[in-house]
Amino acid sequence: MKRLRVDRWTGQLLLARPGACSASTPRAALRPAAAARCAAVRNQSTRAMPEIPTDEDYADGTDHTRFPPLEKLPPRATSLPSPPPERALQSAKLAAMHARLSLPEKLPLQTLARALVDNSADENPLFNNTNLAFVGQSLIHYHVAEWLMCRYPRLPMEILYAAMKGYAGPAALHQVARSWGLEHAAAPGGEVDPGLLQFSLHRPGSAIATLGYKRAEAEGLQKYKWRHGISSRVVFDDDFGQVVETDKAAQLRRADTEYGNEYTRSLAERAYANCARAVVGAIYAHAGREPAKAFVRSHVLSRALDLSALFSFKKPTRELALLCAREDFEFPIARLLSETGRLSRTPVFVVGIFSGKDKLGEAAGPNLELARNKAAMNALKSWYLYSPGEHVRVPSDTLADDAQPWAPAYIDMGEIIGR
Amino acid sequence: MTIKALQAVSVGRNGVGAFVLQCKKMDFHYCDWAGSSRGMNGFIKSLLPKFAAAHPQVEFTVSPRPSKHPVIIGHYINGREKAVCVRNMEPYEILKKAELLRDASGEKLRRTAKPVQSINESVRGIWSPYHGNGMRV
Repeated sequence: MKRLRVDRWTGQLLLARPGACSASTPRAALRPAAAARCAAVRNQSTRAMPEIPTDEDYADGTDHTRFPPLEKLPPRATSLPSPPPERALQSAKLAAMHARLSLPEKLPLQTLARALVDNSADENPLFNNTNLAFVGQSLIHYHVAEWLMCRYPRLPMEILYAAMKGYAGPAALHQVARSWGLEHAAAPGGEVDPGLLQFSLHRPGSAIATLGYKRAEAEGLQKYKWRHGISSRVVFDDDFGQVVETDKAAQLRRADTEYGNEYTRSLAERAYANCARAVVGAIYAHAGREPAKAFVRSHVLSRALDLSALFSFKKPTRELALLCAREDFEFPIARLLSETGRLSRTPVFVVGIFSGKDKLGEAAGPNLELARNKAAMNALKSWYLYSPGEHVRVPSDTLADDAQPWAPAYIDMGEIIGR
Repeated sequence: MTIKALQAVSVGRNGVGAFVLQCKKMDFHYCDWAGSSRGMNGFIKSLLPKFAAAHPQVEFTVSPRPSKHPVIIGHYINGREKAVCVRNMEPYEILKKAELLRDASGEKLRRTAKPVQSINESVRGIWSPYHGNGMRV
């Protein structure tokens, strides 16, 4: 009979049968021989076989003889709030994500792993993504704002804020991070695969410290819906013109409620958005300014947002009259261009708004009033959505090495202020 | 003055700025004993290392599934998955199936009636009966 060659066996066969070693047997006595066999066999096996860990490695009381871990964890990994950085090199998910986003070679996997740890999972700022997310948020907001300024120089401030939020707000960045194929772990911990986004629904964590200002009357604004005009919003509030929410006690009260409500969804959305920001911050930290800008351009600014759908007018004809007065145009006059079925159930009126001989806008509507209002709205939109071109230069283009000197961009005198 | 802003969220268009491969993970299941896995075992030994090295953006896992036909499962960014049974196939046939799963978007297969689908508005606009010189009947 042929001799059995133990070193030809695959690694799976050498695994101890579950429950084979009794609890009374000291496991340390069995380990040296088992470890030696594993080491000899590992290069033959198709799968890296984990060593059975010693008791002092794990403080969580799991019976690792019955449930052997899938990979060798570093000492005390399970007691940590987030995976230790050295495990990033073993995560297939993380490496795949690095390649999927075509991230620069200079960005190491350890930093990418750190970008996936939300501050609600690990409060230590040395191991969570808060710092990276702050840098990334500043960069994203800067690039989106300068692009909107140069591309649509006449946008009113309200619409500019809404467009900023549509491109770079938490909902949009959440979608960006989702479109990378990012998944989240059910609960954070040191034993979790570092390629999964980690955040906690039970601890809300702290929002990124933004450059916004804590208003003294913030509670009144929220509770009584006090009016706060656009001027104070420019000065006091965050980059989307929203009041900075700093009430952590209210967040704590709302946290740890039942699973899957609106609040937990917003926590998940915030964690995904922070992760997207942190990836931008990590690119900036390791690869520099231009790769970070190219990343923001290709992942954030390349998305489609119909700016003309953001406008909501109250008195369009009055506003158009004020605009014409300001710009020294002739007073706008609405004229009926064509109509059909005036006495029928579905009449259509096509109304154009003229300033002298120039047609400013045109629209069709089921009655004369609506058609005139729509025509005025179209005229105002075509004024506000003026664009010097699709490929405008932005100020950060001049930071490149061989850049042309900056030619001043078109700056509009501002939106129409009514009385 | 009278302008209020409505809120909207931008819509992603894969490939306009960056292109992200939609297949994020592929599972290869084989059986050591069954004959229907012979081609799969050969594929895993000979072709899979090169295929996996050529696609770093996809996570690959290889695991046994004893007493079952071999199968390739692709996991996609939209959350769906596609499974292809590769029983009794030759390694190069299996490679074709793996490439099919790699190139798929993860969406359900649909009949596309029009050659171009776009969210951009039409350059020529929508035809209107109230403009132009009209049509003499």
